[in-house]
Amino acid sequence: MASASVAAPAETGKDLLFDASARTRWRLGFDRVAGWLLPVLFLVAIVPILDLVYYIASQALPTLSWAVLTNTNPHDPYALGVPIISTVYVMLWATAVAVALGLFGGVATAEFLSERAAGWMRMSANLLVGTPSVVIGYFGYFALVLGLGWGYSFIAGATTLAFFMTPYIFRVTDLAYSSIPRPIREAALGSGARPYQYILKVAAPIALPQILNGVFLAVAIGVGETAPIVLTSTHSVLVPQTLYSPVSFLTAEIWLNFSQPPGQALALAFQAAFVVLVVVVALNIVVRIISARYQKRLEGLYQ
Amino acid sequence: MNALTSSGNGGPVLSAQHLTIQSKQKKILDDLSLDFPAASLTAVVGPSGCGKTTFIRSLNRMVELTPGLSIRGSVIYLGQDIYDPSVNPVMVRRRIGMVFQRPTVFPTTVFENAAFGLRLVHEDIETIEKSVEEALQRSGLWEEVKDDLDRPALSLSGGQQQRLCIARALAIKPRVLLLDEPTSALDPAATQRVEATMQRLKEDFVLVLVTHNVGQAARVSDKVAFLHSGHLIEVGPTADILERPREALTQQFITGRFQ
Repeated sequence: MASASVAAPAETGKDLLFDASARTRWRLGFDRVAGWLLPVLFLVAIVPILDLVYYIASQALPTLSWAVLTNTNPHDPYALGVPIISTVYVMLWATAVAVALGLFGGVATAEFLSERAAGWMRMSANLLVGTPSVVIGYFGYFALVLGLGWGYSFIAGATTLAFFMTPYIFRVTDLAYSSIPRPIREAALGSGARPYQYILKVAAPIALPQILNGVFLAVAIGVGETAPIVLTSTHSVLVPQTLYSPVSFLTAEIWLNFSQPPGQALALAFQAAFVVLVVVVALNIVVRIISARYQKRLEGLYQ
Repeated sequence: MNALTSSGNGGPVLSAQHLTIQSKQKKILDDLSLDFPAASLTAVVGPSGCGKTTFIRSLNRMVELTPGLSIRGSVIYLGQDIYDPSVNPVMVRRRIGMVFQRPTVFPTTVFENAAFGLRLVHEDIETIEKSVEEALQRSGLWEEVKDDLDRPALSLSGGQQQRLCIARALAIKPRVLLLDEPTSALDPAATQRVEATMQRLKEDFVLVLVTHNVGQAARVSDKVAFLHSGHLIEVGPTADILERPREALTQQFITGRFQ
């Protein structure tokens, strides 16, 4: 045995490579087919998306101009200036509220709540993420528009959108804090840090890039939503002047104009869709960049 | 045992008294009493699962971070019970520091890691810089990092990271340093340097070392306590315990005939 062991590996290797048993041939064949199948499936997945992007771009670009994007004249119904500015305002409010709620909820769940309470929080967040946005829209309608008497308004629409975005930010915050290695937490507390000092000084720098990612993704998801806004704030030709003014929103413009016959109104829907598409793609690229940097900076922490 | 615990300046600095720690399933520590005199290194040894890690974590209330454990008995630090309801665990941990099995550096610079505890108490920058240098010198890392204190701590080797963790614990000037298997994740060369650091530190601090490595206990400790199934089987000067153990269990453990 010992004397044969020097020559054995080469022969065994040869045996394995040229083993012609039916099972081995089947495996190698499957391997080859899978190697072809995966790119094909990738194409099947990507072609409809590219087709959609091409279709929207081909409908929007011929008529899209800088003037259309910046025209805020309330008497010109075929301009996107007001919806774009309004969307920025709505997203700022919605993001601020969602970040406040999601951040506090996520940190509390990861750091302070009992296992049981944290389990309930996580389950609720998962349920909310799975809830159709139209249900959130109706909640906003009944709770804010009617219940609090805010009427169809900027504040009702943006706050409802915040409710829609909150569980995403909550989940990523909870995950970011929960996944910090336990020894790091114990080392901080063992060096005499109070829990809040651990959360702010040790955990925050580690968790923040991940949370920022979640915030950008939540904004990308929120900016593409329609129902929470159209159910809680009517269309407006003006940038909102007060919190209780009606407000317009890019996706709401798509929703309002898409059922129109071919013409300027339908073109406007495509133009709005194109703008939303560009914003969402840009946000996703930002997320990719942050992720890549984050990976590099924390190399070695999770050994 | 009394002869061992008396130190030059009177009673022990730290003393566990009738400590019993229970989880729902079982008793982890059973009525354990042990004294830690000033300027000494006590090694707590025993097979895995004997409760030695739980024991060392109970000495600065880290054990309370594990949910579901009930703790009875007391730990007296300079005459005061650290489990007294009026005592803040944060203050306990600032006097009784801890180093863990794996290096736990924070993802920031070498300097900020060593300065962590000082920043928490808002010292001024001159004090911080002085204390950081002193702590890094004590932990034996200063010569290796003094030229570039702003490099990322995660770029240090494992052994350097562990000595940085020791410096971080020392920078806030504790009286007691608890070391929970500090070399279990290190290679022999790095282990040797950490052991040399421990040798130096025991002049000025009360060191408690948990280790499963009898050789390490022999090299660095003054006193050995042998734990088995949550019971303190035997305690005494290192040479006595390792060369002339009184108990059969200790004998079996030291000679490696255990399981």
